[in-house]
Amino acid sequence: MEDKNQENIENKDINQENKDNNQDTTSPEYDPNVNQDELIMAQEKQIAEEIKAKTAMVGTLESLSSLEKEYSHDPVYSSKVVTLMPKFSNVRRTRPDGNCFLRGFIFAYLEYCIHHREELSRFKKYLEGSKEELFEMGFPKFTTEDFHDMFMEVVSDLEGSGSVERVEAVCNDAGTSDYLVVYLRLLISAHLQKNAEFFSCFIEGGRTVEEFCKQEVEPMYRECDHLHIVALTSALGVGVRVMYLDRGEGATVLSHDFPEDKDPIIHLLYRPGHYDILYKA
Amino acid sequence: MYLFVVEFPTPSVPLRGPCLPQQKRLQKELMSLLKEPPAGVTVDVDTAHTKLTEWVVHMEGAAGTLYEGEKFQLQFKFSPKYPFDSPEVIFVGDNIPVHPHIYSNGHICLSILTEDWSPALSVQAICLSIISMLSSCKEKKRPPDNSYYVKTCSANPKKTKWWYHDDTV
Repeated sequence: MEDKNQENIENKDINQENKDNNQDTTSPEYDPNVNQDELIMAQEKQIAEEIKAKTAMVGTLESLSSLEKEYSHDPVYSSKVVTLMPKFSNVRRTRPDGNCFLRGFIFAYLEYCIHHREELSRFKKYLEGSKEELFEMGFPKFTTEDFHDMFMEVVSDLEGSGSVERVEAVCNDAGTSDYLVVYLRLLISAHLQKNAEFFSCFIEGGRTVEEFCKQEVEPMYRECDHLHIVALTSALGVGVRVMYLDRGEGATVLSHDFPEDKDPIIHLLYRPGHYDILYKA
Repeated sequence: MYLFVVEFPTPSVPLRGPCLPQQKRLQKELMSLLKEPPAGVTVDVDTAHTKLTEWVVHMEGAAGTLYEGEKFQLQFKFSPKYPFDSPEVIFVGDNIPVHPHIYSNGHICLSILTEDWSPALSVQAICLSIISMLSSCKEKKRPPDNSYYVKTCSANPKKTKWWYHDDTV
């Protein structure tokens, strides 16, 4: 899919940067006595740790002008950011760890629910029913239950003492936040498998929908692609508008609504390989 | 009681009691494996009780397969990030199954142990996958790169960049 290619380009940029850094010291020569796998993994781990130290899982509310500043030396991006400014006032950045779409989505959705209590009750009802449905589909009872129960606890807690600060705390507490991400992944997997006949046409690499779910949906840190987003928004019945900020032609930022027939209540900013949360002006 | 050094900040939200997710989950898994173990699988309670983050699991080759009557031991090690991080799983002891995906040092080439691990999987799911991998084997032999791999690999199989072969072998 298109996104994937862009992600790859982005990843290449990171690799290139690392290579450049290495060249500053000495150019490393291949040493057969050194375990190459371990070196690669150590470097991957280091990059992940750096990202972790730099960005919160869900950051604080920033003015959109912070994006403008970020691209002050990039004419393509900065002219596009300018076109976003009348529509959106703020942005909240998420950690680029492969869970950014899901973390951005659940933060923005729970925040919306704080201001729209009827939606919170609807979501709670949906969650309650989802557990049995997952069991019926053969998801492991024992572990699924854990993730479900944690989600219910968070939603019940927000029903009682909901505030944006609470949502911030929940989404930035690693134990809780990752539980929410895992359960969303299970819901996506269930929706894809339930509608396997339809979704099978969109899966690349000759894999079945089930294989795709086991490899690209259920494991943590796997990036969300169009399919994941279509499945999650249709399963939950929650409209999301994604604004695509990339080097594509034209001066405007293209947008897409998921699912197409729903009015969006959440706005996300996509830049190749990454999603952040946007706030309407 | 064990204290684990964990990078998670103390949650400001009252969540699920004072336990770490890892401890709570492992205790639950241990109980369930003791109560309803899959056929041919027994968890060594003593080792697990001495140290909750390191288990030994005894496994018997299933009847009607090439491994019928054989006994194996699996070692599980759990990091503080379990279940978000996969456990480290190797065969130990004096009988390492001779199988195209199992190296003679006990390392197992199985995608759910690294790349395709999901927190919704469990020790039980891993044991079932390994039993199924053994049961579907048609010829007992080591992986083709066995001697090179065991000489050069790290002691921890999670530090290997695996290239997964065909699951049907």
